[in-house]
Amino acid sequence: MTDRSRLSRRDLIKLSACGAFGSSMSRWLPALANEVSKSPDRRRSVILLWMTGGPPQTDTFDMKPGHENGGQFKPIDTSVPGIQICEHLPQVAKLMQYCAPIRSMSTKEGDHTRATYLLRTGNLPQGPIDYPTLGSLFSKELGQENSDLPNFVAVAPYTQFSPAAYGPGFLGPKFAPLVVGDANRVVVNTPGTNYDQSLAVKNLALPQGINVERADARLSLLGDLESDFSSQRPGLNSESHQSAYAAAVRMMRSEAVKAFNLDDEDAKLRDAYGRNQFGQACLLARRLVERGVPFVEVSLNGVGNNQTFAWDTHAQNFTSVKSLLGVLDPAWATLMTDLKDRGLLDSTMIVWMGEFGRTPKINPQMGRDHFPNAWSSVLCGGGIKGGQVVGKTSDDGMKVDDRPVSVQDLFATMCKGLGLDSMKQNVSNVGRPIRLADPTAKPITEIVG
Amino acid sequence: MAQTARSHVFGTKGSRFDVLFPRTRSLSWALLISLVLIFVDDVMGDEVQNLADLIDRRIEARWKSDGVTPAPRAGDAEFLRRVSLHVAGSIPPVADARQFLRDESLDQRRRLVDQLLESPHYITNFSNLWTRVMMPESATDLQGQAQRPGFQAWLRQHLGNNTHYDTMVHELLTTPLAGDRSMNAALQNTGAVSPIAFFTTKQIKPENLAAATSRMFLGIRIECAQCHNHPYDSWKQEQFWGYAAFFAGIERTTRNEDAIGQVKEVFDRRELTIPDHETVVQATYLDGTQPQWRTRISSRKTLADWMTAKQNPYFAKAVVNRLWGHFFGVGIVDPIDDFGGTNKPSHPELLDELAADFAAHDFDLKYLIRGITASQTYQRTSRKTHDSQNEPQQFARMAVQGLTGEQLFDSIAVAVGHLESFQQQQPFQFNQNGARGEFLELFAPDNNSPTERQTSILQALALMNGQFTSAATNLDQSSTLTAVVEFPWMKTPDRINALYLAALTRKPRPDELERLTKYVDTGGPLTNQKQALADVFWALLNSSEFLFNH
Repeated sequence: MTDRSRLSRRDLIKLSACGAFGSSMSRWLPALANEVSKSPDRRRSVILLWMTGGPPQTDTFDMKPGHENGGQFKPIDTSVPGIQICEHLPQVAKLMQYCAPIRSMSTKEGDHTRATYLLRTGNLPQGPIDYPTLGSLFSKELGQENSDLPNFVAVAPYTQFSPAAYGPGFLGPKFAPLVVGDANRVVVNTPGTNYDQSLAVKNLALPQGINVERADARLSLLGDLESDFSSQRPGLNSESHQSAYAAAVRMMRSEAVKAFNLDDEDAKLRDAYGRNQFGQACLLARRLVERGVPFVEVSLNGVGNNQTFAWDTHAQNFTSVKSLLGVLDPAWATLMTDLKDRGLLDSTMIVWMGEFGRTPKINPQMGRDHFPNAWSSVLCGGGIKGGQVVGKTSDDGMKVDDRPVSVQDLFATMCKGLGLDSMKQNVSNVGRPIRLADPTAKPITEIVG
Repeated sequence: MAQTARSHVFGTKGSRFDVLFPRTRSLSWALLISLVLIFVDDVMGDEVQNLADLIDRRIEARWKSDGVTPAPRAGDAEFLRRVSLHVAGSIPPVADARQFLRDESLDQRRRLVDQLLESPHYITNFSNLWTRVMMPESATDLQGQAQRPGFQAWLRQHLGNNTHYDTMVHELLTTPLAGDRSMNAALQNTGAVSPIAFFTTKQIKPENLAAATSRMFLGIRIECAQCHNHPYDSWKQEQFWGYAAFFAGIERTTRNEDAIGQVKEVFDRRELTIPDHETVVQATYLDGTQPQWRTRISSRKTLADWMTAKQNPYFAKAVVNRLWGHFFGVGIVDPIDDFGGTNKPSHPELLDELAADFAAHDFDLKYLIRGITASQTYQRTSRKTHDSQNEPQQFARMAVQGLTGEQLFDSIAVAVGHLESFQQQQPFQFNQNGARGEFLELFAPDNNSPTERQTSILQALALMNGQFTSAATNLDQSSTLTAVVEFPWMKTPDRINALYLAALTRKPRPDELERLTKYVDTGGPLTNQKQALADVFWALLNSSEFLFNH
């Protein structure tokens, strides 16, 4: 990690010496000086709990009791005096010392597609630059080359809002996620559904009658074909094909794939996570992190029988949100205690967010609509000083009163919490180098140490 | 068309000869006829060739001005494989390949395309394409899945009759909607030949229909203006809702917000209120003009008339660009359905001319396909022969393109000699077996352009270890492999040749043949020549060369 950041700094200086960044030198010299690397040598991991559709802040982490916008749910006390959250998050409430709710997210983009892209890449879709999704961005920094398991695993992502927001963008297919589970299907998180099967990696074993020696011989024949093809017809397609095959073979042959055997876990612990896809996916996330996977993303896309799609509760908000929280709360809380029990919580950052929040005002269908102006996300675990709330919204929840946090601020905060240099650059598809977070971003220093 | 032009001239040749060549009597008849043919081709025109020439002229002019050295013409084998995938949706069977590669006539490529266009595979392949375009929800949305067969049957009927594109879209837009449109009703009647699923998958909501129809048929992504004025584009919120107002007459008579039930249509409702605003907007075309309303004509029909008119500035361009993208992997405007303000065409004149020509030919899809595939630009090799060929929108070499799940599955089926069970020959049947369905789901194309298709680890695992390829390379189960392995009197190089032809539609190069003959003759790890041939076949089926169109 330290080597890596030193190297990148040298690269940056070399680049600027060539004049590529002459004008911006003054801007980031002080930034370099400030960054007395406190980055711990331990690698950190991230688990992203992605709330497809945009969860309502007023019914989760920014309650408005006594105001008509507050809705039906009541606030409850948490393990941290003075912080209250929704009554339907009782288990998470007991672990508030690890969590830092940010109540002042302010992002200005209320369209699912564009907001999904914004929150997941840090940027609005603009022109020809293909920004990578944050899992690709951070796993590239945190991961190891040629590891047995992919550095980025995504469980059941619902990519339809913005497929580009789920891909590796200009970082290339090498940094694409291993997608586990049924993508793009509205997941029914009800008990009794066959969630185990949807969390397995298919076709991992060699076909019957093919031993490793034979598989090697076949791969070597394939290798000849590939090098001919890509030397004559170079391009992304065959590059991606080859990198996927290499990664697949590495994974097939590793011990680490046992991570996917959830049956190895204690039945009680599995119960505690919740016997539904999201709960078991959180358990899988822990098992993957345990084996060194630096970025795991788990989506909560819906709960059975709800009339609404995922968190997009334009109608019947309270019925839907209650059942979603019923799945979210045990899974998230158990994830934190389980990581804590294994000494992994200090090195695992958990990020909870969707693409925006929802309108404080309740519409005639008892729903809440898209609301990017003032909403909540939560950072917890590794690298985060929990037990404190960031920012404040007005009494009616309509605007941010204190400490607005932009997407770039959030990305910069994550970088800092993960011990990453947010000034690190990647070269984009248009040749322009792009930093992990924008130089103007202000990390929320009070919650990262 | 070319034929009618020619016969017309021949029919009146006597009189014309006298006018054009007064002293013809001293010339030989043969020379005369050839002169006339040249004249006919030049002046009256082989219209497909003219279209191809138009493409080449514009593309080549840019190469000259930009200093691009194009790749040479593709060989017959490369062309055959490419055009079979693009038009018929799979690689050609070995027998067809052998026949085509033996054919040395000058017009063999044009005749091949004609044959492919008349085959049932064209119908299957393009009904898949249009389903993806018009009903992207059919992959994810339950109602869409249930109604996909009826929708595809509708498409197949039209593609089989070569219904022209404007007629097809017009029929789609004006399909009657009144009646029970609930999920239950749909499920009870899943096979009914009808484009109605287009509407139900958009929840028959004006705003969804507006967003979908403008993007699909006009190349305009106006949906961002639904909630607010678009920051980067010129579309305003009122324009979006003004366009949506053409669908305002569709009314649900049941109350439930989310489920569709009984539907009726009020023909003369031509306005709607922007949600959460007080503003009422009148139905207005996207070019800003107001319709001439006619009594008893629904606003949907009025919109359909405007949309599919030859004068519509967007309609022909959008579809021409879409088909261009299908054949070249990259549109002249790319992404192909985003003609937005900042997204400029790479060859604006060509796009205009193609659109005008397509409209002048009454939106005949097969004509357009014939023209594109007859162009030299389409027939370039995909091999890179010069550094100036890197920019995809120069079209200086054919782009390597990802296959759809259907194309991949059907190509594997063809390669392993597994044809019958996949209904390729029966485009009006919809018996999709489980293996195919699963495969299609795993290989559903991501939304990246076909030139940037990403292979996932899961796809790699399925191709390496999955049941389907295992069977294809299993001596007991694979027809192609069994035939090649068991056929007596063949020498190893012949067997390898046959596998190459089956999978890659080409013969191995000498270096490949030498390498693989050695492998097979020594028998691989099992020292078994038959199993070693299975290994070769496995490698071929897992190769980029097999898995992409190029």
